[in-house]
Amino acid sequence: MSDLPDRSRRAFLSALPTLTVGLAAPARAADTPSRQPRWGMLVDTRRCIACQACTMACAMENATPEGAFRTVVATYAVSDADGSTGLSVVPRLCNHCAQPPCVDVCPVGATFKHGDGSVLVDGERCVGCAYCVQACPYDARFINHATGKADKCTFCHHRLEAGLLPACVETCVGGARIFGNLDAPDSEISRRLKAAGTSLRVLKPDAGTAPNVFYIGLDDALTGHVAGVSAADLMWRPDHHGG
Amino acid sequence: MTTTVEVLGFARGPDWLPWAVQYFFLIGVSCAAFFVSLPGLAWRRPAWRALSRYALLAALVSGLTAPVALMADLHQPGRFLNFYLHPNFGSWMAWGSFFIPLYVGGLLLYAWLCLRPALARLADDGGRLAPLYRQLAYGGHDSPGAIRLAALACGLGAVLLLLYTGMETMIVSARALWHTPVLPLVFAASAGVGGLGMTQLVAALAGRRELAPLLNRWLVRCLGASLVLIAVWFVLAASGSASHSAEALAALAGSRVWAMTGLWFLATTLFSLWLSAARPQALWAPALLALHGAWLLRWIVFIGGQGIPKMGSTWYAYSLGIGADGLLGIVGSLGLALFLYVALTAFVPWDARNEMGENHGI
Repeated sequence: MSDLPDRSRRAFLSALPTLTVGLAAPARAADTPSRQPRWGMLVDTRRCIACQACTMACAMENATPEGAFRTVVATYAVSDADGSTGLSVVPRLCNHCAQPPCVDVCPVGATFKHGDGSVLVDGERCVGCAYCVQACPYDARFINHATGKADKCTFCHHRLEAGLLPACVETCVGGARIFGNLDAPDSEISRRLKAAGTSLRVLKPDAGTAPNVFYIGLDDALTGHVAGVSAADLMWRPDHHGG
Repeated sequence: MTTTVEVLGFARGPDWLPWAVQYFFLIGVSCAAFFVSLPGLAWRRPAWRALSRYALLAALVSGLTAPVALMADLHQPGRFLNFYLHPNFGSWMAWGSFFIPLYVGGLLLYAWLCLRPALARLADDGGRLAPLYRQLAYGGHDSPGAIRLAALACGLGAVLLLLYTGMETMIVSARALWHTPVLPLVFAASAGVGGLGMTQLVAALAGRRELAPLLNRWLVRCLGASLVLIAVWFVLAASGSASHSAEALAALAGSRVWAMTGLWFLATTLFSLWLSAARPQALWAPALLALHGAWLLRWIVFIGGQGIPKMGSTWYAYSLGIGADGLLGIVGSLGLALFLYVALTAFVPWDARNEMGENHGI
């Protein structure tokens, strides 16, 4: 009688633990990062015309509630000493910081740093305490009153998974938003960041958050809390002027 | 010189709502009132005996209302269990979710141990509720050792609550008005003012004017400490030694509404200090002024602090709505406190003058 079937079974049974352990164990850390991109965005403010197409595209793509935005383009009239006035823009979004203060404060770990560098919110876990909203130095987060959860820019994570660009990048008329893998030396964003040299800026560099959203052509006076007046406060109103 | 006009900016409304003000106010008041109850109930100091009973009542009323206000401030209150299922111990708020049951549980245990003799007396008096009182009294023993142990657990909870509420706010460097090491101390001193004020209010409602001098003496101390700490913050801000505070002071000075609110707070606090010092027999006015000051400080810190723009040029306008996220929330939480006061005073005696065994328990 042949003993081949027995050997085969023995071989199968002895190999089974190896197979199941191999399936259960997570992928080796060394494998993942080399394939995982590190997403970042570069905003060339010289190309931005403040059309708010990005604001609208984001609102439509992500169905943000009325009056709440994941990205906006703040617009400033800056006058210098000799009286000449120019328009300056600051497109703002979540900076997907390398050191995000929102992650540390979240009491239930709903806000987390994804392996691709983006900062995301686990909507199933979020309790809507808004502590992350308070901790964000950039006013990039808000409570979505339709869902009762923290809401913010995700770099359109659902689009990235489908191989698409974030909605704001795709819709930008002037090509002011450049998105890509910061770890790939030949990506456009890496080349542009390298070329920008000392003209590169991030918002609130003193906050120690190490943003992954970078700016070119941004006035230093606009990188943080902008000291100035608001046109809303300058407008005529009955309660201000006794009318 | 460069001038900047924000042509198009985007405001964010406050996401910590008036519910949060109510929570921080009520939990601070409760912790402080609990400490006021200790000399008479845990350490059996005769001079504090009657006063400490009212302090315990004040601690219970505000301590049982506060967690409800906190839950209401969550935008997903049904998910509160996530605090215990998925705690992130790097967050002060996560720790707070454990300190609250420690304190409230300790307070209920402490109150029950203190109330057992009084409940037994009620059972002995007869009536329809006598069986219930007998069950609750569980023998009716006065247990000073157990009371001190419960007070220790509750005191630990109270200290941790005062610590976490201050630290949770202080560490938010993104909020200029919050990010100062003075804040937890101001909150603690102001909680003392509120706790004494609530005890005074309960004593005033019971018509116990003879308790006023002792309460006013401590109120003067807490008001003085609050004012000194606020002065320290002001000096740090005005001198530019603390950049966040300087930014907050400049923002407050630039807003007519909040500058007036700040001045009103200072004026009423100074008046409260004078009143408590010059009129030690007064009970109602110092009580209401103390509660007003403790609440208004938190209103300025939380609602005002969230109005200071992080990036933009102008204050984020806030108007108090009349719905559950606004006025109704404030009135509702105070209504719950009133209900608890009525319920506790209807079924439990707090006035020692009517009791035979004043020297035994409460």
